Amino acid sequence: MVKTLSVIVLSGAEDGRTHTFSQGHEGYESEDSWSLSVGRRNDNDLCLQFDTFASRQHAKLHWKNKQWWLEDCNTVNGTFLENTSDFFSEERIKGIIPIQEGELFRIGRTWLRIQPNE
Amino acid sequence: MATIDIKDILISARLEATRMRHYYLGIEHLFIAMLEVRGGLTSTLIFEAGFNPEYVIESIRRKVGKGSRHRLWAGIPTTPRADVVLGIADELMKESELPHITERELLIAILDEGDNVPLRVLSGLGVDVKSLPQQAKTRQITRAVTQPFVSIDLAPQFGEELNKDELFILRRMFHGYAQVRVETRLRGGYSDSTLIVITPIQGDNREDAPVVVKIGPHDAIYDEAQRYERHVKGTLPPLTARLEDTVIAPQISDLAALKYTLITDDNGRALDVRGIVGVWENSKLANWLYEKLYNSFGTNWWMQSRPYRFETWQEYDWLLPPILTLELAKNEDATEDAIVLRLPIKRARLNHIEYGETVVVENFVVHRVDREQKSITLALGQSGGSITRPYQIKIRGINFEEDTYFRGEVVDKLAGRVWKTRNEELENAVRALEPDFDHKQNAVRFGDFYAPNPIMAYTTLLDTPVFGSLSTIHGDLHMGNILIGANDTALLIDFGHTREGHTLMDWATLEVSLLSELVLPHLEDGWASVRQLIPYLIALNESRIYSESSPISQKLIPILRLRQIVAERLAKPNHWEEYFIGLALLALRGVTWETLSVNQRRLMFLVSALAMFAIAKKQSPTDDHNTPFDDTEFSKNTGL
Repeated sequence: MVKTLSVIVLSGAEDGRTHTFSQGHEGYESEDSWSLSVGRRNDNDLCLQFDTFASRQHAKLHWKNKQWWLEDCNTVNGTFLENTSDFFSEERIKGIIPIQEGELFRIGRTWLRIQPNE
Repeated sequence: MATIDIKDILISARLEATRMRHYYLGIEHLFIAMLEVRGGLTSTLIFEAGFNPEYVIESIRRKVGKGSRHRLWAGIPTTPRADVVLGIADELMKESELPHITERELLIAILDEGDNVPLRVLSGLGVDVKSLPQQAKTRQITRAVTQPFVSIDLAPQFGEELNKDELFILRRMFHGYAQVRVETRLRGGYSDSTLIVITPIQGDNREDAPVVVKIGPHDAIYDEAQRYERHVKGTLPPLTARLEDTVIAPQISDLAALKYTLITDDNGRALDVRGIVGVWENSKLANWLYEKLYNSFGTNWWMQSRPYRFETWQEYDWLLPPILTLELAKNEDATEDAIVLRLPIKRARLNHIEYGETVVVENFVVHRVDREQKSITLALGQSGGSITRPYQIKIRGINFEEDTYFRGEVVDKLAGRVWKTRNEELENAVRALEPDFDHKQNAVRFGDFYAPNPIMAYTTLLDTPVFGSLSTIHGDLHMGNILIGANDTALLIDFGHTREGHTLMDWATLEVSLLSELVLPHLEDGWASVRQLIPYLIALNESRIYSESSPISQKLIPILRLRQIVAERLAKPNHWEEYFIGLALLALRGVTWETLSVNQRRLMFLVSALAMFAIAKKQSPTDDHNTPFDDTEFSKNTGL
């Protein structure tokens, strides 16, 4: 079965839009992983063209070891995870961290979520 | 009664989208527009869930953030999600055979859609979102505000009136009681808040235990509730003041209130430490400070300290008046010669900024919004909701009709002309004390004794590195916030400034408070009288008593004991500069406080000067410590 990824936009001008990707069509594949790029520039797999707070090349999503990983590309404005204990102070991520389906993350001003695969 | 039309909601939603520089129409804008309808369906349900609609609006804005000044598209397109929601609302309208969508259909649709920003914010704030859909369908809105009736009696010793808003809040807070008796107002909230002790009385005349109610601006009150959760709740001794869970925030005013339960003394009265001045022996108060206050809170607070190296401004700059007050400039382009302030700040440059110059501030955070004064206060620092943010800049002349600002927002650029500097503000404060010495010199002369002039020397002090310690601190530990309960237990209230901070700050705050309320009342008005304290204070700064038998020395006994606590908490034994720096700046803040009497402010000036004198002495080891009245060393240094 072909691996797919659905990411839903949860804020901003594209709030409500779902981006779907499938392995072999989008992204970059190496021996043991599948990677997708996120950023403002339109050559990204997931392009956030309306978010001026997103960097041109902002973050990457990796599928590796049956698990999603989120990587921040050393951006000015950062990539954040929702903080369940303190709603208003989000956790800025460093490097690569594992991310669960359903977990909210923020790139620039845009909140995103990986939709559970049906 | 029908709720309002979508037409009106859309108009204010687009305004909101423009004010926030979003230029798209999302659920957040629709929801804010609905919350703005006072007495409307949405704001009523939120209000009944225990939240102030204004506060929810601010929270949504804070979560979403303001857009950038560059527009990337024309018009105000609707987001995909808003399209979905408007579609659901449209179907509901047709089902109900209505001529157009009203607030009710829109609210049901937003709740039904279930995955939008406003709902996430409501859950984040702790609103029970699950109960809302049913209420949205059935709740009827009537204009008449039902006011629960609770009889409010003022105890004879209270001796003053409560205003309409305060009465309204108390009626809501004590809904279900037949009556409440307002016992005393606790003095000395240096903030805008009111603290009162209240005894609730049941229908059968049974009295419940008294509580302390704090009424203040709603954002400050909500912050305090959050601080209590984070810093205080788990660290309190078993017997103490506890915060009751819900904040009361009526829609009719910007005020909100919370209440602390108390364990009081046998006759049901809660006394603040001020109340026992003149009742307790000074030695009893001294022992109480050490045994009851320090020992019972200390184990989880001040004694849990970790080494902390900071520059003084990081912990103390925020206490002083804003470094600049600017008049907002209309034309941001005319700022070619402007002075630009951004991280890192060069303090030396700040001292040379003068009236009328144009200043551009970049990447400051909105710290306070004052709609009445049409001003905002900015502070430096990007993260967190810290109250101790340094380098506050006040901006006057904000038009809130055109522009919206919310706390925590990062302002990327703002220009203004200098209206007042901190140095001017401090100088004016000292002039108001009618000094009988030259207050513009680097050293001030008190009789035949010279000390550094606090309003000149404070900037150097702010740049001084401190080897100190960090712990949970109360943040505003003055006498009015310390209560005495049953068996002389120490109770603390008012956790609006509680945080991780410089351990010694609490004790410097308490010393300043004890000096001005325990020692000063025994002196006559005027500088000559305040100056009598000089030898006593110098001796105190050397941890000794000036003249055992004098009544002033008796009053200083509790402070001498307080200094013992400080001695235990100094990061490096016997290095008192760590404490004097805090004391000097807290006392300097006191000089600018108009709620203090002129004589109290004179004392503050003196305390600040003497603390700075003590620091200067430590730094010049050639000083002869046995002759504090010999001013030669210091006056030589200052060229006087």
